[in-house]
Amino acid sequence: MKIENEEDLDNFVICRRCHTLHKVLPLHDGFKACCSECGALLYRFDSRLVEHGLAWSMTALLFFFVANFFPIVQIEVLGNTQFVTIPMMLEALFEQEFYIVGFVCLFIVFLFPLGTFVIYGVLFLLLFFQKGERSIGKLLVLLSHLKPWNMVDIFLVSILVSLVKLIGYAQIHIGTSFWALVLFVLVDIYINKTLHLSEIWILQKVRFKKEIE
Amino acid sequence: MIEIEPHHLIRCPHCDAVNINKTKKNRCRRCHSDIYPYSNFNTEKSWAFLVTAMIAYIPANLYPILITNKFGVIEENTIMGGVISLWEHGSYPIALIIFFASMVIPIMKFLILIYLMISVKYPIKKETKTNRYKLYFFTELIGPWSMIDVFVVVLLMALIHLSSIDIFAGTAATAFAISVVFTLFAAHAFDEQLIAGKNPKGEI
Repeated sequence: MKIENEEDLDNFVICRRCHTLHKVLPLHDGFKACCSECGALLYRFDSRLVEHGLAWSMTALLFFFVANFFPIVQIEVLGNTQFVTIPMMLEALFEQEFYIVGFVCLFIVFLFPLGTFVIYGVLFLLLFFQKGERSIGKLLVLLSHLKPWNMVDIFLVSILVSLVKLIGYAQIHIGTSFWALVLFVLVDIYINKTLHLSEIWILQKVRFKKEIE
Repeated sequence: MIEIEPHHLIRCPHCDAVNINKTKKNRCRRCHSDIYPYSNFNTEKSWAFLVTAMIAYIPANLYPILITNKFGVIEENTIMGGVISLWEHGSYPIALIIFFASMVIPIMKFLILIYLMISVKYPIKKETKTNRYKLYFFTELIGPWSMIDVFVVVLLMALIHLSSIDIFAGTAATAFAISVVFTLFAAHAFDEQLIAGKNPKGEI
């Protein structure tokens, strides 16, 4: 295999699941390329990725705030009502001196999801205005470290499990925050699980090359 | 003009860029982060995390995870006890979810990681590398799901503070959270490059 220089390696892609080497082919807008060995998604082409990404990250942040300020679920037992929000849940942990679990939950269900989408927002804004090539790179590296620790989807499933556990004990009213969380998780799955960071790296290269020319 | 063999190419885990494996210290040409910074330790780091996780998993199963105070009667439930009582109450799907999340997934993850780390040292010819990559990808995918039990306990604890019934988390919640976090660390510290048989000394 012969290449001109290291930059030419951008024309290749290695599958993240089975590590097979593929050559990058140009795609039509909105199409995606999959691995021939294992069928995993390799890359996609979206000509309006910046606008889409910006819109998605704004949406996600909006839902995230709603999810944190309103009760997830309200229960009613013999006239006693009680509700819980995400900050209340974290506070209860620290009050009962479960510091380790408290910190784990604080990071996993609050700081990391918030951080991820704030970074996405800043990234797409920078790309939109074509500024700060260096900081984009740094943010992307930071994002790749944060990404595996974002577990909001698992948290949502846990809420469902605990609701089912409660059915026998109390009357359950699902709160605003629950629906916001459902929508947030959908956006999170769309952005975090389907948008590969390499697409943003390629975008950065393309955007800033144009400017130099 | 550079002449390279396809198997000398490696993927940067942070930005997915294809890099040439320069065998000693690799630095990604696109995002400038070190590729496989732990390679000097071989699998030791991953082993250390994994053993910690396995040790934490023992108290997680022995101590109660959920303490219920119902009209002054205190009831303590371990993880397995909770699954059994859910099964007896007829909520089979929930019992299965909890069983999978807190028993099957952690144990499976321990076994897969142990297998991967041993197979890196003593390769078995029959097993293809592609399969092992897929196995690693699979453990990364299912790993976080064992957090379900911790989240459920935390939610119940925060939600239920009534005069008639009160729920507390037990010691096992902490142990279990530690165990899950350390298995995740172990999986992250595992050097995927080792699967390809490229050892850190650069002998390919």
